[in-house]
Amino acid sequence: MKTKLKYLIGVSLNRKIKTKWFAIANILLLILIVGLINIDSIIKLFGGDFDKKQVIYVDDNIGAYEVLKTQNETYSALIKTNDDDADTFEIKKTTQKAEDLLKEKDNKDAWVLVLDRDEQNVLKATIISDGYINSTDYAAVQTIINNTKSTIALAESNINPDDLAKISSPVSIERQVLDKDKKSEDESMQMIMSTVFPIFILPFFALTIFLVQMIGAEVNDEKTTRGMEIIISNVSPKTHLTAKVVAANLFVLIQGGLLILFAALGILVRFMLGGDSDIAVGNMDIGNMLSELLASDIGAQLGYIIPLALIMMVLTFIAYAILAGVLASMTTNIEDFQQLQTPIMIISLLGYYLAIMAGVFDGSLFIKVLAFVPFISAILSPCLLVLGQMSIVEFIIAIILVIVVIFLLVKYGFKIYKEGILNYSSKGLWKKMFKALKSK
Amino acid sequence: MLKVDNITKYYGDFCAVDHLSFNVEPGEIFGLLGVNGAGKTTTFRMIIGLLEPTSGNITLNDKKIDYDVTDEIGFLTEERSLLTKMTVKEQCHYYGVLKGMTESDVDKRLDELLKKFGIESYKDKKIKELSKGNQQKIQFITAILNQPKLLICDEPFSGLDPFNVELFKNEIKEMAQKGSMIIFSTHRMEHVELFCKKLVVLKDGKAVLSGNLADIKKQYRKKNILIRGNIDIDKIKSLEGVLEVNPKGLEYEVKIADENVADKVFNEISQAKNVTKFVVEEPSLNEIFIDKVGETYEN
Repeated sequence: MKTKLKYLIGVSLNRKIKTKWFAIANILLLILIVGLINIDSIIKLFGGDFDKKQVIYVDDNIGAYEVLKTQNETYSALIKTNDDDADTFEIKKTTQKAEDLLKEKDNKDAWVLVLDRDEQNVLKATIISDGYINSTDYAAVQTIINNTKSTIALAESNINPDDLAKISSPVSIERQVLDKDKKSEDESMQMIMSTVFPIFILPFFALTIFLVQMIGAEVNDEKTTRGMEIIISNVSPKTHLTAKVVAANLFVLIQGGLLILFAALGILVRFMLGGDSDIAVGNMDIGNMLSELLASDIGAQLGYIIPLALIMMVLTFIAYAILAGVLASMTTNIEDFQQLQTPIMIISLLGYYLAIMAGVFDGSLFIKVLAFVPFISAILSPCLLVLGQMSIVEFIIAIILVIVVIFLLVKYGFKIYKEGILNYSSKGLWKKMFKALKSK
Repeated sequence: MLKVDNITKYYGDFCAVDHLSFNVEPGEIFGLLGVNGAGKTTTFRMIIGLLEPTSGNITLNDKKIDYDVTDEIGFLTEERSLLTKMTVKEQCHYYGVLKGMTESDVDKRLDELLKKFGIESYKDKKIKELSKGNQQKIQFITAILNQPKLLICDEPFSGLDPFNVELFKNEIKEMAQKGSMIIFSTHRMEHVELFCKKLVVLKDGKAVLSGNLADIKKQYRKKNILIRGNIDIDKIKSLEGVLEVNPKGLEYEVKIADENVADKVFNEISQAKNVTKFVVEEPSLNEIFIDKVGETYEN
């Protein structure tokens, strides 16, 4: 029977992998993943002026130009998180009329900032542009103008230069974290991880769908062609389903491995392109992010987070595979199975959404409880573990709960499978299945 | 020997097979007949170990049916049991290895059988690309790949032209000659009459007729007389024991209640002129089947 099990696993796996569609799908995936990782380079390849810094021409009627320039540098230093030493805006002085200046071809996207004083002698600003201004840039320039206004007001209050320097300089904040296991330097990394981790586990969601569909399609194919009767007369239903579960898990592990390989190739291509030109965009430079991650405490924690997350995912794949096999055995055609698999997809999707929300709703009891629920836990619990909202012990409890579900699926699901694969009528289906549960 | 000993199968309160017994000896072709829903499929499923009888026993060469024993059984299902996305070779490997063969054994046997059925060129073709008749050939090949000791054929000639029916018949006969036990189920009574020495007819899960075909026919009281010539039909119809008279081409078929009535009919027609044929025949199996089951097989 062991030989037959091995053979069934091989057949099942080959039916999925040794097809031209598997090769075509993976070539497309490779192109897409490498492309996505290097999307900024691709965008730049087709040209555009997105590299240019926003130019602001200052029509200074009150002598505030130098203060504004200093405030631009201070603001840029404050928000800067990478090695880019450039300022937020490129500020230039002008005496030309805004309408004339913006008509010039090179200044089409520039703004003109007119600095003046109102009737109360307070700084008044007007921003003139040819088109719309995006809200992020608007908020930034507003902060710089406000800071300029405060600095000028303080200067005009006859405060001596030393005191003025003290008042104007940014406050130095010392950060203390009482939990000895946590470091303040890791706070920004926590924030990044809460955003990035759900992206890393997105393939898990896709692989779950592959897995469920693979088992469903195979069981349905064998059942509807009555090939199942020949197969089950030679191997037990338990061996048959075990083979499907093992093959489906091997398939998703191979596919998952290929996705990681494609991503690595994408990053390699990115590094290679980075050697020729500066391709970092904003704060999302992968190279910087990886090096920061590895240097942080979270980097060290990944040493146990990744194996634990992998164990959780593989166990959940097994649970999903058995569940999909059992459900497929109950259906009489692929359309019925597709309807039955919808709740499975939604459960997996729920876990994914909760993982994204976990960073926002820090400490949510609802999310934490759901992180223990098998099927949802595969995506949610690793995310909470990364965010420090779940301890290792709690994570292990979540793993144990998945093992319990697998045990129950093996004990009761296999009985339903045995009955279901030879049932060709949907009449009295649930009665038959409940009866199967009671059988020895 | 296949021994089906007093088996009963219940699905909930519904009795699908009711105290059924029969034996199939090596080299024997056995007919298992019945209308749809009579219990044939359930019986087949119990023989190949898919279902456990509620009571009774099934043994093949004194061994209870288990996964070692089913390796020695071939099953040709009425519906297509082929995985149409596979090639012929892949399909035969799949079922062959599940029957305990090695892939190289399957290859050797497959080449031999494909040649025998004249479809060597289809070895690497996908099953879905084949015609219905060729798919039936492949299905038959998968059933006999392992040279089974017991072969169950449920409607083996479905979708085949007369030439290929002959091929199948010859193969089945050859297997029987080599000592295989064959259980045969078909709607075509002439095939059963041609093949089977023993049979069981099921109705509502019960055996309503069983034993040697010759004995069954002999014991069946009703007979048919074939007459050719100018005869007075009304006079014959009026004779006691004559059930009906039907024209059959140039002849008349007279159905009689028992063999003794034949003398009366003979006396009557002996007075007529130009009678060139008078033959008392056993009834066909189809007639016996309709009489016992109460409906035709082809429903």
